[in-house]
Amino acid sequence: MEQLLVPMMCRIDKVIQETPDIRTYRLKFKEEGMMDRFNWLPGQFVEFSLLGSGECTFCIASSSTRKETFDCSIKRAGVVTADIHTGLDEGDEVGIRGPYGNWFPLEDLKGKNLLFVGGGIGLAPLRSLIQYCIDNRKDYKDFTILYGARTSADLCYKDEIADWRKDPSLKVILTIDKPEETWKENVGVVPKILEEVVKPVVENTKVITCGPPIMIKYTLLSLDKLGFAPKDVITTLEMKMQCGLGKCGRCNIGSTYVCKDGPVFTYEQLKKLPDEF
Amino acid sequence: MDYTNQIREIAARLFSENKIDVFVGYRMTGFDENQVPVLIRDPKEVPRLVFNDKSVFNLTNYLKHEHTRGKRVGLVVKGCDSRSLQLLLTESQVKRDRLYVVGIACEGVVDDAGQKYQNCQECVFPDAVVFDEMLGTPKGNGQYQVNADIRELASKDLVERRAYFEEVFENCIRCNACRHSCPMCYCAKCCIDQESSTLYNGANTTSAAFHALMTWSLHLAGRCVDCRNCEKACPSHLPLHLLHKWNEQVIYENFQEHLAGVHEGDRGAFYKYSLQDPDDFIM
Amino acid sequence: MNTEIFVTDKAGLATFYEAIIAKHETYAPVEKFGKYEFKKVSALSGCDPDAPIATTMSAKPLFFPRSAKIMKYTADASGTKVSETDEDPLSAQRVILGMKHCDARSLQVLDKVYNWDFIDTDYQKRRRNTVIISARCDKADTHCFCTSLDYNVERLDAMDVLIVNGADGKVYIEPRTEKGKSFLEGDLTHHMTHVRDNEEAAKAMKKQYDAFAGSFRLNMDYKTVNEGLSKIFDSPQFENVSDNCVGCNTCAFVCPTCHCFKISDEKVKDTGVRYKSYDSCNNGYFTLMAGGHNPRPVKYRRWRQRALHKFVYYKERFGENLCVGCGKCTRACPVNISIFEVVSTLPHINNIQ
Repeated sequence: MEQLLVPMMCRIDKVIQETPDIRTYRLKFKEEGMMDRFNWLPGQFVEFSLLGSGECTFCIASSSTRKETFDCSIKRAGVVTADIHTGLDEGDEVGIRGPYGNWFPLEDLKGKNLLFVGGGIGLAPLRSLIQYCIDNRKDYKDFTILYGARTSADLCYKDEIADWRKDPSLKVILTIDKPEETWKENVGVVPKILEEVVKPVVENTKVITCGPPIMIKYTLLSLDKLGFAPKDVITTLEMKMQCGLGKCGRCNIGSTYVCKDGPVFTYEQLKKLPDEF
Repeated sequence: MDYTNQIREIAARLFSENKIDVFVGYRMTGFDENQVPVLIRDPKEVPRLVFNDKSVFNLTNYLKHEHTRGKRVGLVVKGCDSRSLQLLLTESQVKRDRLYVVGIACEGVVDDAGQKYQNCQECVFPDAVVFDEMLGTPKGNGQYQVNADIRELASKDLVERRAYFEEVFENCIRCNACRHSCPMCYCAKCCIDQESSTLYNGANTTSAAFHALMTWSLHLAGRCVDCRNCEKACPSHLPLHLLHKWNEQVIYENFQEHLAGVHEGDRGAFYKYSLQDPDDFIM
Repeated sequence: MNTEIFVTDKAGLATFYEAIIAKHETYAPVEKFGKYEFKKVSALSGCDPDAPIATTMSAKPLFFPRSAKIMKYTADASGTKVSETDEDPLSAQRVILGMKHCDARSLQVLDKVYNWDFIDTDYQKRRRNTVIISARCDKADTHCFCTSLDYNVERLDAMDVLIVNGADGKVYIEPRTEKGKSFLEGDLTHHMTHVRDNEEAAKAMKKQYDAFAGSFRLNMDYKTVNEGLSKIFDSPQFENVSDNCVGCNTCAFVCPTCHCFKISDEKVKDTGVRYKSYDSCNNGYFTLMAGGHNPRPVKYRRWRQRALHKFVYYKERFGENLCVGCGKCTRACPVNISIFEVVSTLPHINNIQ
């Protein structure tokens, strides 16, 4: 067990300041050839450790189809993340364990229209899948990305979103919670825009959503209203995790280990779990 | 010492007069002679209340819990418990007008073997110092004496003492039951709680236990009322009272015979200043 | 029936213990501050293999250390180096004496979680290299309820070697596993009478078991508890049964089956050690996430998690109750809350309402 908990060292290739409190760390394993052996699929997570401060769980925010490096987007929220933001810069080293958990049901998504609904830092796990799907574009039908944040400054991956918009086959809709002077796009919370602006086609569509708990809650209700079947709605759960190995018991919801059976669940599966999140 | 009937009457009366929302007392475990603290919200449950010399746990601990916060509480306190209540009042942790305190002129509580606990044998303040109603006949206060354990500890030299405490800390499993059971530990974030702590990591090493327990006991210096909730809670049966009694003795001797929670409005040793205070430790 | 039994007396048993201690790395209950803890022993005089259950801590730390070093690291200008710790997670065979059957049974329960998916090799190694030799209890303590749970206390194979103190003054020693059988081969049992399929011995052992099983004051039907608890997730009764809990975590620390842990770093300048240590779901910080969201912010939710994990979730997932009925949590509880009382009355209370 103890050996399984020892991290591999990574070097920070690049730090991107996405928003005032979110940074993306682009990482590369120090050990020669480790990057080739490190195989992950969209939706999986890693245990990221700043040695001396502790470990945190982050999803991998980039796709394994772009494998020179991998990204973790980190929001400054607690003690360790604050240490990460203040203490880590390009060239520094961090420990990584993983990848852990399950992944988005890539086979089920094939041949379907995909609707991504993200809020704030919740775009990170979706970005991994979006990149993956863009790189395997022929397998999937229409793409719609609805992304919201509190303010325009809080939108992540702005450069990448601009790239996505250049692709005519991708529909990208942005929204912020409150009006701003220079903002020319949608204003309103994500579930509202989903119902009023996006008006998605229900047929042959899979929805993949991630965001803050409150957004998820209302988005699921909206999707219900729009007529999406719970099995077609996929989300990733945020639970406190520590070991990632299905041992430490922290992420238990009922008899489910979020770190093993999740973090990706369909809404149908979520409904069966005890109401604890 | 058995005030079961009186306490049931008082609780029933308080509920019928709508003076309290919850009554904190004791009930039998139903399995043995021991008792479990019980929070009674329904007057129908009042007959479960008991009080005798097995009513050990210091109930003022419950005043920090979510079930009593902001409510009107009826509470049973023994001598030592009332001292911790006095301190909580002084430290503005509870409001007096929300409390109805049943004070006990305590004759001491006993352990599983029927033996009076050591702190009860040595008790100087058996009568409740805060109460709305007193049960039993007050016996008056005794004279503070340095505990025999402390005298023995003081007779050891530093090396021996250190060796002894190292053994104590080695046996600590760092469950923090001591701090959770303590009525005076009400900080929302405790420096020895493992996850909020940046001072001490959660590892269960002798040095971590040493630092955590020492810090904890120093935070309680001049505030410990010797109810020994901590020691009775310790699953490793560690003699935690030695830490507190040692501090108590030092403070008694150096801070104008201060004893925690005895006098109303007494804010504690560290608020007292006198020109006669010893300063020989200042360089 | 093919049982081998070694028959001896009290003195013969002491000789047996002494021989084991002399020959093997042995752990047994050692008294410290009025309670017993499993420690390495070098002589029978320093320990008590018959220590009472009421004051004996679980042997869990011998398999799942209270704090295990995961790794060390050093950082300098050339970068950070991570090294696995030099602590050897046990390679030689060791013997544990005086582990009660509930405690031994807990290891079988823990095997399930440690051996699914990612395998805990250190735990496995410790398990494999340990021979458990223990006497069956003669009498149940106030808080014992092991016979109420779903395992056969009489035919328990969690112990490698079972010792039964017969009412006739004789001591019966029976290997219960292959490991136990091969352990007893050799000169450890030379001074004993070796019998096979002996009716008299079997009868004496059964008699001891019956007397023991008859001494239980607490009895419940675990199936009713499993079923009852699985239906009452939303019951307001959880709040009532947990309101007197002081949230101290001791129950989990002394529990032989609780296995939740946390990972924490101890840092001194540029070097540090990472530990894996016990944690408890009763701890308010247990599920607190960075940013402040906590799915179990209040006590009754944490309490519910504990009760349901023990009697519903673990059962669903791994087919066992995460409780062996040892009563250690109840004895350790500063306010005497009894898990037996809670789980056996909760479904019932709910039915009345």
